[in-house]
Amino acid sequence: MSVAESLGAVVKAFPQAKLVAFADLSARMILTSAGPMMMTQEHLDRLCDQARSSFDDPMFSLCVGAFGEPNAAMLLGPANLRLFLRSEVEPADALCCICDPGIDLAAFVTKIRETLESITHDG
Amino acid sequence: MNKGTVPIIARLHSLQAPVRVMSGGARVIAEAGDRNPVAHLLREANETMLARSLEFRSSAGPSLTLDVAGRRVLRLTACHGLPGAEACLGVEVLEDEHKDDLIKLLQAVAAPRQELRVVTGPVSREGSEVSVGLPVALLADLMLIDLNVTGPDNVPEEAEEYFEPKETPAVRLSGAGIEDFAAAIGSPLIAWLVRRSDGEATSDGPEDMVSHLQAFLEDESEAVVRQLDLVSAAPGDPACLMLGVTLIDGHGILCARLEDSLLLGVVAGDGTQTVLTAWRSLMA
Repeated sequence: MSVAESLGAVVKAFPQAKLVAFADLSARMILTSAGPMMMTQEHLDRLCDQARSSFDDPMFSLCVGAFGEPNAAMLLGPANLRLFLRSEVEPADALCCICDPGIDLAAFVTKIRETLESITHDG
Repeated sequence: MNKGTVPIIARLHSLQAPVRVMSGGARVIAEAGDRNPVAHLLREANETMLARSLEFRSSAGPSLTLDVAGRRVLRLTACHGLPGAEACLGVEVLEDEHKDDLIKLLQAVAAPRQELRVVTGPVSREGSEVSVGLPVALLADLMLIDLNVTGPDNVPEEAEEYFEPKETPAVRLSGAGIEDFAAAIGSPLIAWLVRRSDGEATSDGPEDMVSHLQAFLEDESEAVVRQLDLVSAAPGDPACLMLGVTLIDGHGILCARLEDSLLLGVVAGDGTQTVLTAWRSLMA
């Protein structure tokens, strides 16, 4: 299954997922994405920057010191939910997701974790 | 091709991602079999908010370069192998009188049955002309082109609300304070501390945890605010960031900002959904 197909399968399984994007955080680049949300290149760049900033200091260091290196971040704004997952094997690989707030977080995080590790393993 | 680009291209190929990049950094936006390559050209220009130069190259040879910004075509800066470019070349900012000539050039460079590539670069001239030029939407209307890539049954959702700062406050706060947010999370919020800009603080939870949070905020509160600004649509916007090893088990760190209050807390992993629900109530 290609990465586009993998991301498409996530969107199909979770209609509340409006965008699921695979990013290389070290290159500051979204490599491919799926979902009904219309995104310009600037939006994708911004989403990738938000993922990088989420896994940055000072919050990153606080989490490392308390519980270990964070590989997941949830970002809530006035009206939206973004989820960022880093690969446990290759931390530069990440999934960046925009979802409706009504999504089942536990099920969704489990699914995108499996998807991310599969992409990292195969790619 | 930029040396740093090589591993990215290799990765894209490895992932079978649907993107083709040629030597020189050119990206294929329309294959030879595409029925309407000029639509791809316009969509490329339409998604450009920041000022950029877009060089479109046809596999048949002709090319043209446009400065675009804010979904508008500002000027034609170069044109090769296409007749009739004189009326647009050298014009500081394209205006309504140039649209017919420009459309002919766009249709000529994006000829059917030819591969079309684009190379992105910095805009040739900086300026404040973002509010002028020819809107891509106008050119698309004149060419009867739909700028949306999906069909009417799958209407794409606009992303602006997620990324663009609003001129007027779009946040409909419930009137509750950030302490109410902490109370709404309840027992999954094991320890928390709220600090206001005037230095006043409130807290709850085991003393050793709270004192650790307090010491951290004393040293890092400005850096925390900067981090929240970086992940918000606009500086000072309400924002809530939760970090964890998995987010769905173990523990996580919660940081939230509402007006002049900053909350820092420790959440049990299975409390993430509760945090989400409490935040939605706060913003409702």
